[in-house]
Amino acid sequence: MRWLLKRGWMYLAMIAVSTFALFPVYWVVITSLKPRSEIYTRTPDLWPSDPQWDQYPRVLGEGHVGRALLNSLIVASGTMVICLLVSAGAAYVLARYRARITRILLILVLMTQMFPLVVLVIPLFVTMRKAGLLGTYWSLIITYLAFSVPLAIWVMRGFVLSIPDELEHAARIDGATRIGAMWRVVLPLAAPGLAVTAVLSFLEGWKEFLLALTFINDEDRKTVPLVLQSFVGRGDTDWGAVMATSVLYTLPVAIVFVLARKHLMTARTAGAVKG
Amino acid sequence: MSTAPAAVQAGRTSSRPPAMVVARRAVNRLTLPVLLLLPALTIIAGLVGYPLVRTIYLSFTDTGLGELIYGGSEWVGLENFKEVFADEHLRTSLVNTVVFGTACVVGTMVLGFCVALLLNQKLKGNLLFGIAVLLPWAVPALAASAIWKWLFDARYGFVNWGLVNLGFDGFQDFAWFADRETAYVAIFITVVWQSFPFVALSLLAGLQTIPKETLQAAAVDGANAFQRFRLVTLPLLRPIVAVLVIFSTIWDFKIFDQIYVMAAGVPDRSADTAAVAAYREGFALSHYGLGSAVAVVLFVILLAFALIYVRLVGKEGELA
Repeated sequence: MRWLLKRGWMYLAMIAVSTFALFPVYWVVITSLKPRSEIYTRTPDLWPSDPQWDQYPRVLGEGHVGRALLNSLIVASGTMVICLLVSAGAAYVLARYRARITRILLILVLMTQMFPLVVLVIPLFVTMRKAGLLGTYWSLIITYLAFSVPLAIWVMRGFVLSIPDELEHAARIDGATRIGAMWRVVLPLAAPGLAVTAVLSFLEGWKEFLLALTFINDEDRKTVPLVLQSFVGRGDTDWGAVMATSVLYTLPVAIVFVLARKHLMTARTAGAVKG
Repeated sequence: MSTAPAAVQAGRTSSRPPAMVVARRAVNRLTLPVLLLLPALTIIAGLVGYPLVRTIYLSFTDTGLGELIYGGSEWVGLENFKEVFADEHLRTSLVNTVVFGTACVVGTMVLGFCVALLLNQKLKGNLLFGIAVLLPWAVPALAASAIWKWLFDARYGFVNWGLVNLGFDGFQDFAWFADRETAYVAIFITVVWQSFPFVALSLLAGLQTIPKETLQAAAVDGANAFQRFRLVTLPLLRPIVAVLVIFSTIWDFKIFDQIYVMAAGVPDRSADTAAVAAYREGFALSHYGLGSAVAVVLFVILLAFALIYVRLVGKEGELA
């Protein structure tokens, strides 16, 4: 009985939190499948009477969401690849070399996360304009690196720290150079960390709105958040289109998250901050 | 990877002239770390360091659109900062940022902690629960704003419909975004919904690193569940909690997407936060100098909060 009381509370809490977490997602999906007459009603149904898929081809075609998804994919992947290449080495050094300067660098890197994005938008806009990059994919990829790299360094450093030093020492005693040991010992063991970092840095580029809003004017280069915003912003919000776009926008990330849940749930994202 | 016997290791090391080994190691020690650090540090310095310095400079000038393009902006000293605190809209936006941001941080941390403790219990259905709480994290902020705006829609929203059905008739056609306080309730829920997963999963990882023996020892010593939590779990989690609070503060004080999309209809823009106000001044109105000043004030506020937290955690060593 005592057991039941104790566990019962926990299950109730679990159900409550799950409902809070899932209901909005559920509501978006079914709204995107409802015919217009069932979207704009004061007595919403929990299930569409006759699920319709026509919102999806509509937003993908005339709504330019297809093109926007491709743009977002290009920008986010570019950010992810460059971010991993650049921050892996830095994270390794900041984890393995213990000196006063590494600590100072780490704190400086953390401080960059403290700068509100708006602090950077104006001068970045000017810089991109001068470089002639405004409106290009590169203007977004380059600026997203400014935010993904610091985060990536901290997260990956946590993973490197969790790999025992001794393994590397052993490899070096066996005759491997420092870089060889890094390549053959640390990198494979840090693979889950690389995966988590890849997901995080991809997400930076995938979800960013403000810089994209500022840099991109060309319809053909717009990323998904910009198109989504244009649906909401119009005098009369096209909720069917908003919901279908939101589903298409979220789906890829949700799939990756579910596949990577093991890594994300034992998330050493905390390891990153534990040192 | 194999570990060679000691004899072989010794043989290898001694077969090289010691001086060369020392020299090579010295070069290795300096060049490799520098080479590996350089690209990342260049990006950070170039893209964050330089713009920051430039923004601080802009905040002391009267730069508008014309000056930005053709040059010729003038140094105005502290004028912009005086205006930030004199202008009612800008002043309100700063207060909004601190009050609303703090509420979001507290809400996120509390819910995140509860969920982490639940996930840490080895309960049936935990895997499904884990996936459920993972999903809001996957929804981009802008999509989340749109989704919740729809749920809180005055006429067709689910929230009003649900509340009316529960007997709260006052919520018939209730306009959540018609004034600041109720708009903030809706945005608060949106922000917490999106950010608790990260906090929960990070704290879960922390909880799992606490040695079971420590907790058992405390139990043997007669500590009840609450005491074990307060005296063992919490102190051990302190560094993680501190960093999560710092990160959440940074994120929630800078909040943009949600306010920009959801609070757009609030009269007089009274629900604007500093980030949104800085953006409006800087871009919509082309007052780059004033916009920069708002941003700099926000940065100083964030830095102050971060410093306080670091103090509270004690040694900075626990962070880096």
